[in-house]
Amino acid sequence: MSLDAADLEQPRRATADLQQNRHVAAVKPVPFRGGGFVHTRHRFVALFLFVVLVILWEIGSQTGFISNIALPAPSEAAGAMADLFETGMIWKHLSASLYRLVIGWSVGSLIGVTVGLAVALFSIVRAGVSPFVSALFPIPKIALLPLFIIWFGIGEGSKVATILFGVFFPTVIATYGGVDNVDRNLIRMGQSFGLSWLSIVRKIIIPGALPAILSGFRISASIAIILLVAAEMIGAEFGIGAYILMAGALFATDQLIAGVAMLSVLGLTVGWLISRAERWLLRWRA
Amino acid sequence: MITTTRRTALSMFAATALGLVAGAALTPAAQAADAIKIGILSLTSHSPSIIAEGKGYFDEQDLDVEFVSFQAAQPMAVAIASGDIDFGMTAISGGLISLAEKGAVRIIGGALQETPEIEGQKILVSKAAHDAGVTSPDKLAGRSFGVTTQGSSFHYMAHKIADKAGFDRSELKITPMQKVPAVIAALKSGQIDAWSIVPNIAGALTKGPEVVEIGKISDYIDNYQVTTVFTSTRNVTDNRELVTRFLAGLSKGIDDYNAAFVDKTMGADDVAAITGMVHQYVYADQPIDKAGPRIAAGAMRINSGARLNVASVEDQLKWFQSEKLAPEGVTMEDLVDTSFVEAY
Repeated sequence: MSLDAADLEQPRRATADLQQNRHVAAVKPVPFRGGGFVHTRHRFVALFLFVVLVILWEIGSQTGFISNIALPAPSEAAGAMADLFETGMIWKHLSASLYRLVIGWSVGSLIGVTVGLAVALFSIVRAGVSPFVSALFPIPKIALLPLFIIWFGIGEGSKVATILFGVFFPTVIATYGGVDNVDRNLIRMGQSFGLSWLSIVRKIIIPGALPAILSGFRISASIAIILLVAAEMIGAEFGIGAYILMAGALFATDQLIAGVAMLSVLGLTVGWLISRAERWLLRWRA
Repeated sequence: MITTTRRTALSMFAATALGLVAGAALTPAAQAADAIKIGILSLTSHSPSIIAEGKGYFDEQDLDVEFVSFQAAQPMAVAIASGDIDFGMTAISGGLISLAEKGAVRIIGGALQETPEIEGQKILVSKAAHDAGVTSPDKLAGRSFGVTTQGSSFHYMAHKIADKAGFDRSELKITPMQKVPAVIAALKSGQIDAWSIVPNIAGALTKGPEVVEIGKISDYIDNYQVTTVFTSTRNVTDNRELVTRFLAGLSKGIDDYNAAFVDKTMGADDVAAITGMVHQYVYADQPIDKAGPRIAAGAMRINSGARLNVASVEDQLKWFQSEKLAPEGVTMEDLVDTSFVEAY
C-alpha cells in the first residue's frame, strides 16, 4: 500500500494554520527536553583524580603533614613494589594467589550456578535447599577457618575451600534470583509455540537470567579477593594475602600499601574481564 | 535597667562553659597522681606490673595505673606508637623495630630472660614427627616449624636452632598460624612438625600423647632476652622522670615475682596473696585453685631491676635485618635507650 505524501501534509498544515490563528506573534520553538540522565564516557577523569590524590598525598608526606606512622609516602610504597619486582618475589606471590583464586572462584561459581539453576527450576530442590543457603550464607567463612584446617589441612585445600565457600552462596542466590526474574510472558510464549522443557531452559531461561548471573559474578569475584587475605592467614608462605599479613605484623606500612595496591589491581582486572564477558555474552540484547 | 538579649545570654553562657572547662582541666592535674596505661597480655610473664599495682608499688611512685589487655605482642607496640598506652612488655618483634625506626617506640629495659639454672623455653615436635625420627633439634631440617607471624620471636628461635644445629635456615619451613592457639591446634593434629614455647604451655602440651619435647631453647640461644620493657620515644625524651618512676615501681614487682615463683623464697601466705592478684588478669576464666598451680608452674626469671641484655637484643636486631624483616637503617641507638637500667 502507498500513502500519498500530500494526504499526510494536508491535516498537518491545517493544525499549523489553526495555531497561527490563535497566537500569531508567539511562535516559540519548543526545546528538546529529553536529554540528561545519560552517561557520557569520560575516559581520563578517574586517572586524573587518582594522580592528583597521589600527588597531594606525596606532598603531605614529604612536608610532614602526614606522619609516616599514620601513612607511608606513595614513593615509599612504590619502592616496596619495585623491590618485589626486583627480587622476582611478585611472581611467586601472584602465582600462589591466582592459583587459589582461579580454582576457588571457578569451582565455586560452577557449583553455585548449577545449584542455583536446580533451586530455580525444581520446586522440591528449592523447598529443600534454599533455607540452607539462607542459613549458611551469613556465616563468616573466616570463622570456619579452624574447621577447614582440620578438614582440608593447612595446605592449599583449606585456602581454596575458604574462597570456594565464599563464592558459592552469592552465586546460588544470584542465579535463582535471575531465573525468577525472567519474563514470564516469554516462557508462556515458548510453551504456546510447543517448545520442549529443555529448549525453554536453554533458549529462554538461561539467556534471560544471564545478566543477573554475571552481576552476581562481579560480586562473588570481589568476595573471593576479600577472602584471599583470610585464606592466606594460615600456613601460607607466599601469596598476596600472606604478604599483606606479614607487612602488617612487621608494621612495614610501605609493603602493606604495596600489597593492598596489588589487590586493587587484581580487582580492576577482574572487573574489566567480567565487563568483556558481559559484552560478549549479552550481545543479543543490543 | 539591665536588658538581656538572647545574644548576650548566649555569650555569657559560652564564657561560663569555657571557664568551667579550663578550671576542670587545671585543677586535677595539680593534685592527682600521674595517670599511666600499661599494656599486658594474659600471661604469667606480665605479672610484675600486676603485682606492683596490687601491692601499691606504683602508688608509692605517685602513679595511677590502668591496665589495657592485648591478645598479641604486635598490637601493643602499635598502641604505644598511637599513644593509647604508655608502657608495654613483650618480645622484640619486627613491628617493634619498625616502629622504633620511625621514631615512635624505644626499649627501656629487659624482662623475661633465659638463664641456665631456670627451666626455659622448650622445643616441641608432634607425635607424628617424633615417630618419623625427629628426636632431637638437629634433625629438624626439612620440617615445618610453627610461628605466629613472620618476624615473631618463634621465627627467631627457629632460625637460631637451624644456625646452631648446622643446617640452612631455609630448610625449616616456617608456617605462620597468626595465633598461639592455632599453632597449638596444628601441632597437636600433626599439621606442623615443630614449635618452641615457654615452659608452662609446653608442660601442659607434653602431658598429652600428641606432643613430645625434644630440646631446650637455652642450648641454642645464649642468655636469650625474651621480652623487653618499652615505651614511647616521647616519654624517653620529654618525660624521663615518669619513666624512671615507672621502672622503680616495676622493679619492686619483679623482685616479688622472682621471690614468689622463681626462687621460691617467699612465705606461703605472701605467695597466695600474689597469686590472687595475678589471677585477676591471668587464667581469670578458671577458679583460683585450678589457676594457682598454672600461674606458678614454669615461671621464668625476670631480670631484677629490669636489667637489659644488650648483646642479646643486638643479636635479635641483626637477625631481623639479615632476614629483611626490619629496615636496614635501624641502629641500636634507634631501638634501645640504655640510660634507665643496668645494661650488660
